[in-house]
Formats: sequence, structure tokens, C-alpha cells
Amino acid sequence: MTMTHDAPKAGSQVGRSVPRLEGRDKVTGRAEYTHTMRLPGMLTCKLFRSTVAHGRIKSIDTSEAKKVPGVFAVVTIDDVMKVIPDPYYGPAFHDQPILAHEKVRFVGEPVAAVLAMDPHVAEEAAQLIVAEYEELPAVYDEVDALTTKTYVHDVLKPAGTFADLKHLKDARDTNTALDYRLRKGDVDKAFAQAAHVFEHEFKTQKVLHLPFEPHASIADYKDTGVTVYTASQGPSFVRTEIARLLGWPENKVRIKVPYLGSGYGAKLYIKLEALVVALSMIARRPVKLALTFEELFYQITKHPSTFRIKSGIDKDGKIIARKCEVFWNGGAYADIGPRVTQKSGLTASGPYEIDNVWIDSYALYTNVTPAGALRGFGVPQLVWAYESHSDMIARALKLDPVEFRRKNLLREGRPHATNTIIKDAAVEKVMDHVLDRMNWSKPFDKSTGVVKRGRGFGISIKAVITPTTSVAIVNVSGDGSVTLYCGTIDMGQGSDTAMAQMVGEVLNVPTETVRVVPRDTDVTPYDMGTLGSRSLFHMGHAVQRAAADARDKLKALAREVGEPEGSNIPVRDLFVKKYGMQAGNVIGTGIFKPDYIPPAPGTGLSENVTAFWMVSGAGAEVEVDTETGHVKITKLVNVVDVGKAINPRIVETQISGAALMQLGFTMFEKMHIDGGQVTNASLADYKIPGFHDVPTVMDNSHVDTNQANGPFGAKGVGEVATFCVSPAIANAIDDAVGVRLTELPLNPESVYRAIRAKAGKPLEDE
Amino acid sequence: MTPFELAEPTKLADAVKLLDPDDPTVRPIAGGTALMLMMKAGVFRPAKLISLRGIESKYSGIAASGGGLRVGAMTTLNALERSADVKKLAPLITRTMLTLSNVRVRNVATVGGALAHGDPHMDLPPVLMALGAKLTVISPNGERSVALEDFFTGYYETVLEKNELIAEAHIPAQGAKRAAYMKVTTGSADDWPALGVAVVLDSDGKAIKSARVVVSAATTKATRVKSAEAVLAGKTVDDKLLAQAGDAAVEEAEFIADVRGSVPYKRELLRVYIKRAVRQALDGGAQ
Repeated sequence: MTMTHDAPKAGSQVGRSVPRLEGRDKVTGRAEYTHTMRLPGMLTCKLFRSTVAHGRIKSIDTSEAKKVPGVFAVVTIDDVMKVIPDPYYGPAFHDQPILAHEKVRFVGEPVAAVLAMDPHVAEEAAQLIVAEYEELPAVYDEVDALTTKTYVHDVLKPAGTFADLKHLKDARDTNTALDYRLRKGDVDKAFAQAAHVFEHEFKTQKVLHLPFEPHASIADYKDTGVTVYTASQGPSFVRTEIARLLGWPENKVRIKVPYLGSGYGAKLYIKLEALVVALSMIARRPVKLALTFEELFYQITKHPSTFRIKSGIDKDGKIIARKCEVFWNGGAYADIGPRVTQKSGLTASGPYEIDNVWIDSYALYTNVTPAGALRGFGVPQLVWAYESHSDMIARALKLDPVEFRRKNLLREGRPHATNTIIKDAAVEKVMDHVLDRMNWSKPFDKSTGVVKRGRGFGISIKAVITPTTSVAIVNVSGDGSVTLYCGTIDMGQGSDTAMAQMVGEVLNVPTETVRVVPRDTDVTPYDMGTLGSRSLFHMGHAVQRAAADARDKLKALAREVGEPEGSNIPVRDLFVKKYGMQAGNVIGTGIFKPDYIPPAPGTGLSENVTAFWMVSGAGAEVEVDTETGHVKITKLVNVVDVGKAINPRIVETQISGAALMQLGFTMFEKMHIDGGQVTNASLADYKIPGFHDVPTVMDNSHVDTNQANGPFGAKGVGEVATFCVSPAIANAIDDAVGVRLTELPLNPESVYRAIRAKAGKPLEDE
Repeated sequence: MTPFELAEPTKLADAVKLLDPDDPTVRPIAGGTALMLMMKAGVFRPAKLISLRGIESKYSGIAASGGGLRVGAMTTLNALERSADVKKLAPLITRTMLTLSNVRVRNVATVGGALAHGDPHMDLPPVLMALGAKLTVISPNGERSVALEDFFTGYYETVLEKNELIAEAHIPAQGAKRAAYMKVTTGSADDWPALGVAVVLDSDGKAIKSARVVVSAATTKATRVKSAEAVLAGKTVDDKLLAQAGDAAVEEAEFIADVRGSVPYKRELLRVYIKRAVRQALDGGAQ
């Protein structure tokens, strides 16, 4: 067999489907991951975890564990506090102890750590630890959490990072970790004037990210500095937080991140890093902690949610008022939940122009595994509700679901609920493209047999997390070769390739020749994190600016060495002319932080709340087996607005990956929790979609648009195609069999029970 | 997983002698697809495993004999899937393999392991039970024959003594009988079944002479539902008869609730799938 490659070409790098730069290393098993990394003398950590959901720790007996031959140390919070006196961490609140301190707050919380060279020894010893708890009442439901007298934390400790959390400092007797509100117009008056008022409640279940590479971190602590190798989506934040915990300057903390076996938001902010640093300080040796798949169920999940949505409609089908109450089940530690609550909460009223909007969005502590960001930062939970609600209203008023939406859609130049003017958000264009790909205007055979057919769609909008900062460096070496230093983590989304394309475009070199340096905070500059589909826009700008800076400096160098304007001299010869030999560098730098106006306290209004808008739509055709409730998805259409696609092939795979992930969350994925205990915490009993679950037809596309303020007209795509999958399918099920499901997942039993209930023959509960 | 002793006998007779009926930390291991998961989860911590991989090759083979199949207990599911003899004499097994777990599991999991494990969610037990399979079981004291329908005693429980191993399975030829197995999942397509229904029908057109109907996954163990078989025997299939068979099966089976469905839902699934399985068998058993 012979292999041929097209020779890399200069020019027109952006917009080309460049194969992923790291793809060959990954498929040949040569790419580096934290999970498989070893350091000389390294100890392995295994955790002993809480078996109760809420309790005071009476005692932890580690004596039997310490006796196991080969055990190096058994560590509890008392040992940790000798090296880190204030052992609490977190991005929004400093609420999470490195190991359980005085209390445990969820089943699975790490209580003690065993260190040994041999992981099997550590695991065996961890099973010999015994803890006694005084059990406390626990709260699991997000709505209960708002009013119960059971408090997960005695006192709230905002991290100080976010201005809108400051009022919660030292708050007591509450489970509310953020209460975001938006007030626009006068909803009560508008409801009174409305011809029709609809109120519905929607729920989403607890699901998790399940990255193919579970969390893994290694710390190598020395008094002169600490190096952490970690599977993280945000090394800059990890460095800041470790430095804070140690009372050190950031330059003594080095965070190295190789490739990630995916992340989806699970590896954001700080996860295992504080624990491995503490353990390495205690052991004075490198320490590694790598979770098993089963342990992922106790690390971080998506937010379960309850969304009460109420809309007032005038006689012409115009939405004149909308009231949204969203309850986010944040679990035992806030993680980034307050950001989800606010940054997603502000779009809870959907892609519609509504004059009177009232939003309350609550981040709530409960006694379950903490919740964070998962491919959509909360927006899929919101769209599930508001796009189901849209169809329910249209159906009740006998309005065409397309025309009802069209009458209310947010259009270019019009104010969003926050008062930010909509710009470069192709809402209607995306909806029309979905309908076109669905052949919506053509007759649709719904069938009259046991298996009924139906179709549905949804449309959505999201604000990017704003404001955030990215920094990039482009280095042109003496031979003219180009190296990019940027902190964006390539976790499978192809960011290295896209960033290299932008560098290649500016410097007129082939993408394939651009070296992207692995993430290392000693080397790569600051980035807020690889999250919320922000990187292509924010880091893309920084990269574009750094490359342009390098280009300008090369031009200046050419002038300096006497080259005429427009000279086409090879870059290497420029350096030779300057330094007399192949030597020197040209360093370009770029920094990007978008303009932003914070939401006004009390009203949540802002005229510039987001750097850009994301838009997506989905359409589904389904077949529902009316005898069993099984739903087969025969067609799934996904359409997004990405501005200009930097790499069309990668855009397509991001759309299909996001849609299939959400399909699992929509159809069957669910963490079953009984008394705080996850009863299906393994991949044997918690299933994710496989190839046989892929819809018969998957139709993925992006509309042709331009993000005027984006790098090369582009914006983010990673999470966007998750937003509308759930309501599109629920709307299609309703179209097929006339039942409305308001709680995810839409599994066969739920559908069957709804069919039976509609027929007046409800199935008994158990 | 903690260290353990591994014995690798080369004869089945030696293997059964290595078993210790009084020590639950001594266990045999065949393909290991189930046992390894239990060990990784810490549910089972062996002191000693008796690997059966090295025993006589005749226990890994498939032979057509006496109008049926003799299948060694160490035969992999993959070998079963690809065997021309199996396809000829018991095509139901060949068809079942296509949706049984995945290729990685089928490559190492064994027939004996799939039966001895006693997991009600497995696909092979209901199929072999419906086909009327018998097992030869050996111990240091000799060997005995057990009909598969008498083999399972409860959830992960079988009639095997702690010093007994399955040596081989004897599967009668399917012959002219019509058969179907339907695996019903409620999670991902490759999930464990919420319900398995196997039917083997001796029939003439729509007229059923006799039927064997087995229910699994929704129940505590793979179970012959004889009341449903009795409803079908000697009758001509129509909607009413199939509804009666479904009602009888639902009445007889012992259901369990789990993450794959509640008991009332599984009852309804069984009603529907008894009907579909019989119809599919009569239509030629095509999946």
C-alpha cells in the first residue's frame, strides 16, 4: 500500500478542511495523555469515599489500611491542613474541601486517600478504612432546596471572583448559591392584558459527561515549585487556584496539559489538582490520581433542572409576556453552577422578542454529586423547556408552529430580553434551513398502524460567557518556521488545527507547517479556559492578532535590512541579513478581551451582555411504537450558525458529536438516585449512545453567515448543536401520538405511560 | 483488584479437583467478561482463580452428533456465531449472536460461562432453553446431566455445586421448527435487554402443535412459561390466542424492577413481545 499526501500549500488556509494535525498521533497510539503518564518514584492514590449523603464525621479509622504492606501513607483532611491550612477551593465559591472536612455532603465524596506505589495495594487498603458519621437530614430536589430547613453548607463562601456573588458572603440558612433575576417591562400587567396564558413545568434529569479519558492528575511538589500534569480544560485557572491555596506566586506553579480524551466541561476549573498537590506535599514524591469510570459518577455531572415557564399571548399570537423560574440542582459544591445559573439564565426566555420578561434563576445546593458545565452551559435545559412550551402553545391555539415562532422571532437589530441588540444571529435563517432540510412544506405520512410517525423542530439562542480573556504568542524562528503558543486545550474538538489555520492564513504559510506547542503554563500564556464554545472566537482573535503582530514585525525587519517595499525575500534570508546567520526570532503577541457591560443589579439588563450570539436549530422525524413506547429517530436535522467555518469538516463533526451526545441525554441517559445513592454508577447500567443509536438519517449543516466581529468572520461551534435536540424529538413524539412529555429522558416506559394515560388507562406505578 | 493465585490446569478433571466447595474466594474463570467486572468493582475478591483456558480442546469444540449439537463449555460465542453446523442445525443461535453484546465480548466469552454465571439478562440462556438444551456437569465425584430449564434457581443462582463445572451442552437440532428470539432494550441499542423472549414452535402453517416459550431479563431468571406454551399448543394462531398466551405468561413470570423498567411496564412488554416473537417465528424467524 502506498500513501500519498497533498503537498501543503500556502494561501487560503482558513475555510479549508485541513485534516487534524494531531490525528495521526492519536490513531497510532502515540499521543500523550495524563491518564497513561508515569513519573519516576510516583505514588498512586486511591480514594475512600462517603457512603452517606449528609453527615458529620465522627471518626475515620485508618489503622487497618496503614497496616497493608506497601502502603506509603493514608491521608485525611487533618493531614492536608498541616500543609494547606485553608483547604477549600472552587471557581465561584471556596466551598469544596480537598478531602471531607467535619462533614460529608454527598455519597461518593472523598474522605481519605491512600498512597502506594502499587495501585492494587492502595485500592485494597482503601477498602479497609472505616468511617463513622452522624447522619443529617439531606436534600436532593432542587425545588425543595429553596425552601427546606436542611442546609448543605452552614455558611456560604463566595470566592470573590465574581461581582454578582459578593452579596452572598457569609450568608447562612440558605441553599441558594446564586439568584439571578431579569426584569424587563411589566409582566403582571401584560399577563392581565393577554388573550391566553400558558404555564408549564419541565424537568431534566441528572446525567454526566463520561469523557473517554476519566479525570487524571499528577503533582510533583518541591519547595522550589510544583508541577502538575493534568487532564484539564483550564490550566490557567488551575495555576491561579493552586497558587492561592499555597500562598505562592503563580510563577512557582506549573500546569502541563497533554491531549485530553475529551472533556465536555467535566475538566474545567479545578477538579483533582488540589488533592494531588496536597498529597505530593505530604509524601514529598510525585502523586497520581486517575479516576475509574465508576468514580466519574461522583466527580461532576450536568445540572438537573426544574423550569416553570409562563407566557401571555395576545389575540394575534404575539408573545407579550414571559415569566421564567429556573431551579438548577447544583449538588453539594457550587463548582461553576452560579455561572450556569446566570450566563444561561439570561437567555431563558428564548430566541423571541418579548416586551415583558421576568426571569428568576436559582443555583441550589443539594446532597448529590456536584454539577457543572456540560456542553451547553445550561442552555440545553432551557431550550428543552421553552421550545416544548412553544409547540404546546401553538398546538393549544391551533397555530402553525412555524408561523407562531416566525411571528415572535428575535430579528437582527432588535433588542433581546436583556436589552442587548441582536447582531449576527441568524435565527430565522437557521429555522428556515431546518425546515428546508426537513421538507417541512411537503405532506408528511403519519401512518395509521401500530407505529405512528411524527416530526418536530426547535430553535434556540445562547450568549457566550462574557467577558473572558485569551492571550497568544506566535514565534517565527530563524529558518522561517512558525510556532504558536496558546492555552486552548485540544480535547478532540480540533482547536489546534483551527488555530494553526488562522496563523497560516495571516503569515501565508501552510497550516501543516505550523507547530502548536503543548499546553504548559510556564510556556503558553493565559487563557480563561476551553469552555462554552468561546475559544475559536476569543483565542482565535488573540491568535490572529499575534500572527498579525509577527507579520508586521517581519515587515519592519525587511525595511530595516534594506529590502524594498513588496519584497518577496524568504523569511530565513531576512534573518540571515539581520544576524549574519540563521538566528534570532520574531515574536508576535495578541490579547483579546471583548467589550462588555455587566447586567444591572436588580434588573439583569445590559446593552452589551455577550461578545456574540450562538444560534442552532434541530428537526426530528420519529416513529413511535404505540404498543411499547419505543421511539425510533428516522431523521435528525441539525443546523447551526457558526459565522464563517474555519474548517468545514471539523464543524460538521462537532455538530454531529454534539447532537448525538444530546440524543443520549434526551432518550435514555439517567443517573438513578435513591436516598442520595447512585444505583447505576457503572457503564454496565448507565448507557451512552452507540453506533446503533445513530438516527437513520443525520443531516448536519451550517448556514452561510458572517460574524462581523469574529476572527475571519467565525464563531464557536462545540456545544451549539446540543441545544434543540430534546424539544425537537419531544415535539415530534407529540405530533406522532398526541402525548406531551415534560421530563427527560423520553425513554420507552415514559412514552408508553403517557400513551396509556391519554387513553384513560394509566399504567399502575409499581 | 488485588493480587490472587492463578491455576491453569490442562485437564477438566484436574480443574474440578482444584475447586474448593468451602471457600467462596476460589472460583473458575473462563472468558472472564463478567467475573473481571466484578473483580474490578471490588464485588468479588478472589484468593485463587482456576483458569479453564488450558483444558482439553474438545471442550472448546462444536460437533454435530445424533441429530443435534454438542458444544464444549469453553467454546467462545464467536465460534458459535461462525459455526456452519450451528447455522444448519440451530439457526436461531446464529441469528441471536448478531445482537448479543458486542464483538469484543463474543470473542472471549464462553458458552459455559454465559450459563454458569446465572445472570438473567444474558441472551444465550433463553435461546438454548427454548431449544431444549441439556448440560453435562462434572465434579470430582463424576458427572450428571441437567436440563437447562432446571438449571437456574434464582437471580445469579444455578444448581451447580461449588465443585461442579459445566463440561458441555447438548442442543437438539431445530429441524423444521420455527423459532425466534427477541431482545428488547430500553436504553441504548447495545444495552442489556429489559426483556428477552425466545420461542420455538413445532407448527404447520399457523397451526401450532407444541411450543416452547422462554422469558428472560425482565424476570429473576430465564424461565419457561409453560402456561403460555399450553395456551398455544394445538391451536391456530390469531390475535386473540396470542393475547391469551401473553396474559398467561405475564401471570406466570416473576418480574423484577430495575433501571431498565418497572414491573408493570415489563409486563406490558412481555404481552407485546410474546405476540411479536410467535409471529416472527412463523414468518420464518428473520430478524
